Amino acid sequence: MPIQFTDVNKSYMSGEVPVHALKDVSFHIPDESIVVILGPSGSGKSTLMNVAGGIDQPDTGRIEINKHHLDVLNTRQLTDFRRRFAGFIFQQYNLIPTLTVKENVEVGRELSDHPLAMDDILEKVGMLDKQDKFPYQLSGGEQQRTAIARAVIKNPAFLLCDEPTGALDEATGKQILALLKYVNEQHKTTVMIITHNIGIGDMAHKVLKMKSGEIIETLEHAEPLDPKRVSWT
Amino acid sequence: MDMKLRKAMYRNIKARKFQFGGAICLLFLSVMLYVALSMAITTLEERNEQFKEAYNQESFHFQTADTLSADQLREWEKRYDLELESRRYHDLNVDGDKTLRLFSVTDTINQPYFSKGSAPESAGEIAISSGFADQNGFELGDSLTIEGHTYTISGTVYLPDYVYMLEQETDLISQTGSFGIAVTPDATFQHTGGDASQQVLGHYPGTRDLASFKSDVNAVSAILKFLEQADNPRIQYVESEIKGAQSTMTALPLFILVLSIIMVLMLMKRRIQMQRTEIGTLMALGFRRGELFRHYLGYAWFVGLSGAGLGLGVGASLSIPITNMYGEFFNLPRISSFDWDPLVVILGFIVPLGLMIGASAIIIWKPLREQPLDLLRPAEISTAKTSWLEALPFFKHGSFRRRFRLRLLVRSKGRSGFIILGVMFSSILLLFGLMTSNAMDSLVDRTYKKTQTYDYAVHYRGLQNDSTSHSQSPYTLAEASVTRVNDRAVEDIEPDLYGIEAETPYLHLLPQGNQVGNGFIISAPLAAMLGSDEGDELTLTNAQNNEKLTANVIGVADIFIGEHIYYNRNSVNEFLGYPSDGYTAAWQDTQPRDDEAVYQVKSSEEIIAGFESASGPTRYATIGVAAFAVFIGVIVLSLLTNLIVEEHSASISLFKVMGFHNQEIARLVLHVYTPIVIIGYCLSLPVAGWIVNQIMKLLVEETGFLLPTQITWWMAGGGGVMILITYGCSLAFSKRKLNQVSLQEALNSRQD
Ligand SMILES: Nc1ncnc2c1ncn2[C@@H]1O[C@H](COP(=O)(O)OP(=O)(O)O)[C@@H](O)[C@H]1O
Ligand SMILES: [Mg+2]
Repeated sequence: MPIQFTDVNKSYMSGEVPVHALKDVSFHIPDESIVVILGPSGSGKSTLMNVAGGIDQPDTGRIEINKHHLDVLNTRQLTDFRRRFAGFIFQQYNLIPTLTVKENVEVGRELSDHPLAMDDILEKVGMLDKQDKFPYQLSGGEQQRTAIARAVIKNPAFLLCDEPTGALDEATGKQILALLKYVNEQHKTTVMIITHNIGIGDMAHKVLKMKSGEIIETLEHAEPLDPKRVSWT
Repeated sequence: MDMKLRKAMYRNIKARKFQFGGAICLLFLSVMLYVALSMAITTLEERNEQFKEAYNQESFHFQTADTLSADQLREWEKRYDLELESRRYHDLNVDGDKTLRLFSVTDTINQPYFSKGSAPESAGEIAISSGFADQNGFELGDSLTIEGHTYTISGTVYLPDYVYMLEQETDLISQTGSFGIAVTPDATFQHTGGDASQQVLGHYPGTRDLASFKSDVNAVSAILKFLEQADNPRIQYVESEIKGAQSTMTALPLFILVLSIIMVLMLMKRRIQMQRTEIGTLMALGFRRGELFRHYLGYAWFVGLSGAGLGLGVGASLSIPITNMYGEFFNLPRISSFDWDPLVVILGFIVPLGLMIGASAIIIWKPLREQPLDLLRPAEISTAKTSWLEALPFFKHGSFRRRFRLRLLVRSKGRSGFIILGVMFSSILLLFGLMTSNAMDSLVDRTYKKTQTYDYAVHYRGLQNDSTSHSQSPYTLAEASVTRVNDRAVEDIEPDLYGIEAETPYLHLLPQGNQVGNGFIISAPLAAMLGSDEGDELTLTNAQNNEKLTANVIGVADIFIGEHIYYNRNSVNEFLGYPSDGYTAAWQDTQPRDDEAVYQVKSSEEIIAGFESASGPTRYATIGVAAFAVFIGVIVLSLLTNLIVEEHSASISLFKVMGFHNQEIARLVLHVYTPIVIIGYCLSLPVAGWIVNQIMKLLVEETGFLLPTQITWWMAGGGGVMILITYGCSLAFSKRKLNQVSLQEALNSRQD
């Protein structure tokens, strides 16, 4: 799914003072690619992901995703957009505590008209034998793999991951990244990964570096690195 | 530092205005109801006591065949150590259908209290009861011409032996507009011809056996009537009303108090759970347990003080109009208007506050006993704890939706329990309102329109034995004592015994006819008082000659006013020692002519009108109770669903981010409780029926009528619809909260 941002601005009121979280952000991401957004804490990465995923709306500027103009959609239409096209993965996993692994994944399947097969997904993320466990019985990596299964099972065209490895150690983090790469290749999913871990940029087709709400540098990799081989900081 | 904590508490309360406000509101209602009712009752009791004491209420009064002389009374006073005073009275007929009973002013017993104007001084001046004056538009200074004589109203009056204004002692309901009393100097009676009767009022302190006194009086002149205070409904009714009200007025507020305390405990528990890490951090920083304990107890103090304080204030001021309402019902002068009983303050303020604080303390103390390290460890939150119920096969099937909902239910069984409790409480009140108001229609309809179909009951002065006209149906009426039910001896039950013709067209006692040849047919209030039913054997005793009459009850008639026994006229006459063709009264459809022999005519139309007008306030009260029920229901259900939304806001936000619509999420999170609400309502149906029947049985002994309460299909259905609407309202409130849960919450949330 191609993504086009044109002069996108977003600011928040922080007390009396406005905080400019996105300043005239413009970029293009081609279909079926992995894009990594890098930048220090507070640079506006999450804000960018939120407006790209239809969770939030920009103040000005245009966002076009696969012919959908997100900036003019109303709340209900945004919900439908997220439902049909987007999958989300968070740093804190955000599983439903009262549902088991399998049930959490079912929540995602429920939303799709053309979901993937449950057992295949669970197998792929390595959670098949733990499918009846509740989140509190799982390690962080297992929770994140469950969250990936939940996002991927609906076969979204666009997968948005906010610091997906932020709470994980290197080995587990790399497994997660490999999984995201697999999803991108297997299901032709456009994957957006937000991180402050610079090494992860090497697995992307495109890297956007942010600072104080602006994109300060754009890199493209014709031959992205295998996630197993990225350097970890 | 403590100041900072307090600030955090107020901020927290402000952020959850709705939840804390609801808890305060429940507590407020509970305290207000209790305080208002008990203060009103205390004032009433106090006025009654003071009136009795200061105006020397009679201990008894009697009437003899001959007028008794003053010397005679002085002699008895000495011999029996009593006070006796003679009083004259005469019934004046006002406007054809109203009665004004004129008494001579007494000096010692049953002294009149003049509230407005002045005491009547000269012949022809009267002071009149204010209710009768108000309803008939009589004012101070008016001159009334009654039966050819002129009376001038000098003031309004209360008499200690007419607190409940009944014309006849056998009447059930007072009708202020058509019966009143007045006092006037003795001279008025000479002036107006002197056709007044004499009654003797007696007073003594304490209790006494009056048997020898009575026989002494009887030896001088035959006693026509002797009524002791304990048997005088004009005096006793207010006292039994006070006793009855004292029990109902604590039950209702107590239940609301329990609801409110449970609510506060749930809120506290939730706060503490959310702030486990905060507590851990504060403890690690060096806060003492005691300081934190006081901090968290602050929430309970806040709710307790504001709810109970407001309740006390509003309740106390509401007690004044309530007292005045009672004052119109009972003729008690406003000797005092606001009687301050410290016990009411203790029970109404200190007790609920204490319970609230105490129960909260227990909840708070638990986490505070833990080590700071345990608190800092990410809590295995309660919603993640599995319940044993989930092991059931029932839980293993169906979609994630089904399991999400079921877990929501079983992992917080307390919530479900509270909803059931709240729904049952509201439903019972609501059904109580519906049943009572329906029962009043049903009572009149069944008693008068279906069962007793005569228009007039004519009572004669003495025993008759002339043949009656064909449109009349003669019967014998006498008071009898029921002394035995099966093998059980009973006391103090003195129903009216009717000896009737089985073929009378004016009664339809049982579906199969008035088969009084086969046994007794009894009225519903009597059946309730005796606790007996068809097939029981009753024995009646004739106090005069100790004659006994025993028969089986063959049925309970649909007569809901009065304690009646119907039996065949021959047997009743024999039992009473009357000739077999004797009768004392007759039923008929035509208005009876004025006749020397006629002592009294009761028209069923008037009785119905009297009942309707007297039951008006009760009807309003039942509507009030029903509205109150709905109100409490809305509060309880809204609080609960609101709390649920808050507890699950992280999941709700996540569902939103994932692309679920608000309506879908509401179904997932909120509608879970629909079956619980329905179960609660269904449970309340039999409970309400049982409670209402118990209440009616208690009331029957005081009032003599039994409301035929029944839960009909339309009530069950209508009540259900009302409860569902109530539930719908609270869902709507909580949906607003659900819609307001922001998407951001899932994005930057700690897991909750
Ligand atoms: N809801 C919000 N309200 C106020 N300020 C916000 C909000 N969300 C983000 N910000 C501010 O916007 C800026 C960018 O935030 P964010 O996009 O979360 O940065 P990043 O994800 O790169 O750490 C920060 O200064 C942050 O404080
Ligand atoms: Mg961020």
